[in-house]
Amino acid sequence: MKTDFDIVIIGSGAGGAPIAYEMAKAGKSVLVLEKGPLIRPQYQCANQRSSFKRDELISDGMEKRLTLPGLTNTGASFYSSHVEPDLNDEPHIYRAPDGSDRATIEGYTAQVVGGGTQHYGGVSLRYTPLDFRLQSFNAGRPSLPGDPGDDVKRNARDWPISYDDMEPYYCKAEKLVGLNGQQANQQKPFSQPDTYQPPLNPNPISQFAFKGMQALAAILDPSHPIEPYRTPLAVITRDHEPSNRKMPNPEEAKTSFVNRYGDPLGFKSSTWVALLSPVAGLANFEIRCNCVVTRLQSNGAKVDRVYYLDPGGKEQYVTGKIVVVACSAIESVRLLKLSGTLDSNFGNRINQNDLLGKYFLTNCFGGASALVPGRFDKSHSLDADWATDCCATQSFLESHRLWAGAAIYNNTSDQALPLSLLRTHFAEDLDSLWDGFIADTALRAQGLIDFLDQQFGRGLSVSFMANQLPQKDNRIELHPRITDKWNRPVAYIIKNWHPHDAYLMDTMAEQCGQVLKLGAGGDPTFLFLGQGSVKDSPLRIANHILGGARFGNDRSDTVLDKNCRAWDFDNLYVTDGAFMPTSGGANPTNTIEANSFRVADQLRSLI
Amino acid sequence: MSSRSFLPEPQYVLNFCTKYLARDNTDARHAFTDEAKGTLSGTIAEAWQFPIVDTYGGGAAAVANPKDFDRYNQVTFVFREPASSPAKSVGIIGTFQNLYEPEPLTRVPFGDEGTPFWAASFVIPKQQLHRYRFVVDGVVQNDPVNPQTLTLPTGKVWSRFFTQECAENLVLEDWEQNILSRMVEQMAPFRTQDGQRFLDQYYTYLDNSAKQTTFEHAYRFDESVGEVAFIDNILAREEHHRLVDYKICISLIKQVLRQRNPYEEPELISKEIYNSLYTEMATDKVDGWDTSKYQSPLFFLNLLRRHACTGAFSHPKYGGNSAGSGWAYLQERYTDPQSGNSLFQWRDAVEKPLGNSADYLG
Repeated sequence: MKTDFDIVIIGSGAGGAPIAYEMAKAGKSVLVLEKGPLIRPQYQCANQRSSFKRDELISDGMEKRLTLPGLTNTGASFYSSHVEPDLNDEPHIYRAPDGSDRATIEGYTAQVVGGGTQHYGGVSLRYTPLDFRLQSFNAGRPSLPGDPGDDVKRNARDWPISYDDMEPYYCKAEKLVGLNGQQANQQKPFSQPDTYQPPLNPNPISQFAFKGMQALAAILDPSHPIEPYRTPLAVITRDHEPSNRKMPNPEEAKTSFVNRYGDPLGFKSSTWVALLSPVAGLANFEIRCNCVVTRLQSNGAKVDRVYYLDPGGKEQYVTGKIVVVACSAIESVRLLKLSGTLDSNFGNRINQNDLLGKYFLTNCFGGASALVPGRFDKSHSLDADWATDCCATQSFLESHRLWAGAAIYNNTSDQALPLSLLRTHFAEDLDSLWDGFIADTALRAQGLIDFLDQQFGRGLSVSFMANQLPQKDNRIELHPRITDKWNRPVAYIIKNWHPHDAYLMDTMAEQCGQVLKLGAGGDPTFLFLGQGSVKDSPLRIANHILGGARFGNDRSDTVLDKNCRAWDFDNLYVTDGAFMPTSGGANPTNTIEANSFRVADQLRSLI
Repeated sequence: MSSRSFLPEPQYVLNFCTKYLARDNTDARHAFTDEAKGTLSGTIAEAWQFPIVDTYGGGAAAVANPKDFDRYNQVTFVFREPASSPAKSVGIIGTFQNLYEPEPLTRVPFGDEGTPFWAASFVIPKQQLHRYRFVVDGVVQNDPVNPQTLTLPTGKVWSRFFTQECAENLVLEDWEQNILSRMVEQMAPFRTQDGQRFLDQYYTYLDNSAKQTTFEHAYRFDESVGEVAFIDNILAREEHHRLVDYKICISLIKQVLRQRNPYEEPELISKEIYNSLYTEMATDKVDGWDTSKYQSPLFFLNLLRRHACTGAFSHPKYGGNSAGSGWAYLQERYTDPQSGNSLFQWRDAVEKPLGNSADYLG
């Protein structure tokens, strides 16, 4: 097999695929190494059958049990997706504030060609201009609630690039990936008018969220209420010329098999169908799937070998003039740290300061939920219908004494199918699926029917996705004891929320609660269930895994330079969410993709 | 190669091999019961995945007409040669073909290189149970990965698999299934008055030809919506580690029922007695329950509740939710009062002939 390439890219998701696409189009020889399988949509399979299925037991499968010894949840049941790693083979270990360790499904990015973009709900928001300059914004402000020591001022960082620098790449990403949505009312400037395909009609249950968002905006700023907009979603609603995908009947895209499901029809815009598949036929492009990269080897300032295990487990290596690491923030940090322990030159260079793995981030998130009057067929919807930026403006942050803002949107496909409704009953996270159902022994016979009568097709939730305050102690390390199925140390996640994060989450959950209460329009049969956040669950990661190798202009304060190159290497780049110095007030995928297109512009001129 | 076998796409096979089979660590990380410790399958993630039973979409000469595809599964057998002794030839014998006429497996390539994996796919009808063995360099052996076995009257042990919607008893005997059915009545909605009425209508409403076309896959339809068949299926494969819980607890339940009514067979005892048993199990205190054999009746009850509900609403290929009747229950129950349209139009997303999706093929 060929061993020498212009560029070797580790990971085929949002961070890797845009660079692979651009470099392949530019005629460079490209190799993508992907740990997971290549699962094609039906139209690419000789037998017209995809291994992605519309099957509720493929997203959260049959029971398995955690057997790794010495963890607080050893022996616990877990239910994982077919493209998530087995928890006994490659766990993420989370250290709780009391020092105990537990294995968790939280924070896994799907291990499959396309990575998280196969599994995501597809919410594809931009960050706001303010998200790029939170240090400047907070400089000189009085101390914020929960932050008497001014951690915000000390830890917030401006990105080394502005929104305006990123904007052309947002346009590029949105067009090439294939999104539907609405620009109007978003509090972010768009330089091009046609970045979205038209949205589909919203599910009628979302009308309550729409009215509530309107009413909340009118209360927050009566003179200039910020109107809701249709959530940008990575699902095509028309033929998509750049990826040569066809959309015969847009209504068919509406299915609740969206979030946590790969799409057997290829309508959901994963990086495989949108970016890699269109270049997969080029002679200068190659993807090797089921190949896990185990270490990078260096010679001076160059990474000169990328070692991987082939599908049967045999060690092989390749070389690249440029090496891009983009296998999700946790796994990228782990790979860099493991490489450092095996190659002292590599270790010295990647650890030129003590920041690798530090300032690990996710999003602060939470929301509110209700049971609406009437009933709706939620099984015919996409993942989210309406969004609002009314809690992301400078005036909102000033009046509510917050360091950063959030996007708010309503979920539509959640709990739309019977098993998802039952197994997420009182579940706090993916680690506690079925637990609430099991504890509620009243759910049987007539009790079960009453439950279905009350809940099925009636649940409406509104979520916020907010910035998390960076803290150096929130970090990724190598676990000292637990190893994966290749006997390599697994990732050790140490994180907690800052008191200002908790204040922010309370504030944002209150806004989400207001959206639903206002959306009820005084109807007494509208049942508000409550509001809340993950502030008491420091483990929660939202599968938005960011930071740990932040970029910037000061080599003493960052791991990567502004082009995402590791400071002391000539040819090593990190382009998944790890580069982010702040997490953004929105789902990160669109920004990771846009940034990778930006980095690709730099790389193209280098080789 | 027979007209029923064909070469699977290498990518398809490797997608399963790397995740589940390939590894350096040989700890019993995937052994969830004592009996699985010390076996090869206890070191492998989801060993039950092998052989791979999937939807059939063409490839075999014997079944070439797409109209027939949904009656069959594509079953892919995988053999991983030991690193210490690479194989020169690998074949398979089994009851799904002429027994004792080995069909070849082929080494699965990765690019222009080989891998330790050998594979072949076969088109095999749904609802069947078969036994098979590998022939490696002329030596017959069981599949070292697949935990399912079948013991012949002669005492010989073979590897075993079953295709989707299998109706045969796999791990639970008739009397065990009968007691389970009575327990499931206490939890799944279809045995309430409303549910029963629905089921009766759904059943009897159709004429014979509709029954044959629409309900070809409605095996065991007499057993509510097939929750017990689902449980038998997954205890044989995906959740085999829970079989021991069922074996012990069904015996204990039988014992308790006999104490409460010595005059009737346990599976025929009145609904009231099952109801009070359920209620006691929910409090974890059951008169006459031998806690030295199984400590927590509540734990078993909750296991059964999860399985019964999963069986009622998961895809029928797993053995329950016969012909989508669990979904149809929701479809009928929830309708828009103005238009009369259902508020759970599940068929739109699901493949034909079960559903009516225009494009999704399963």
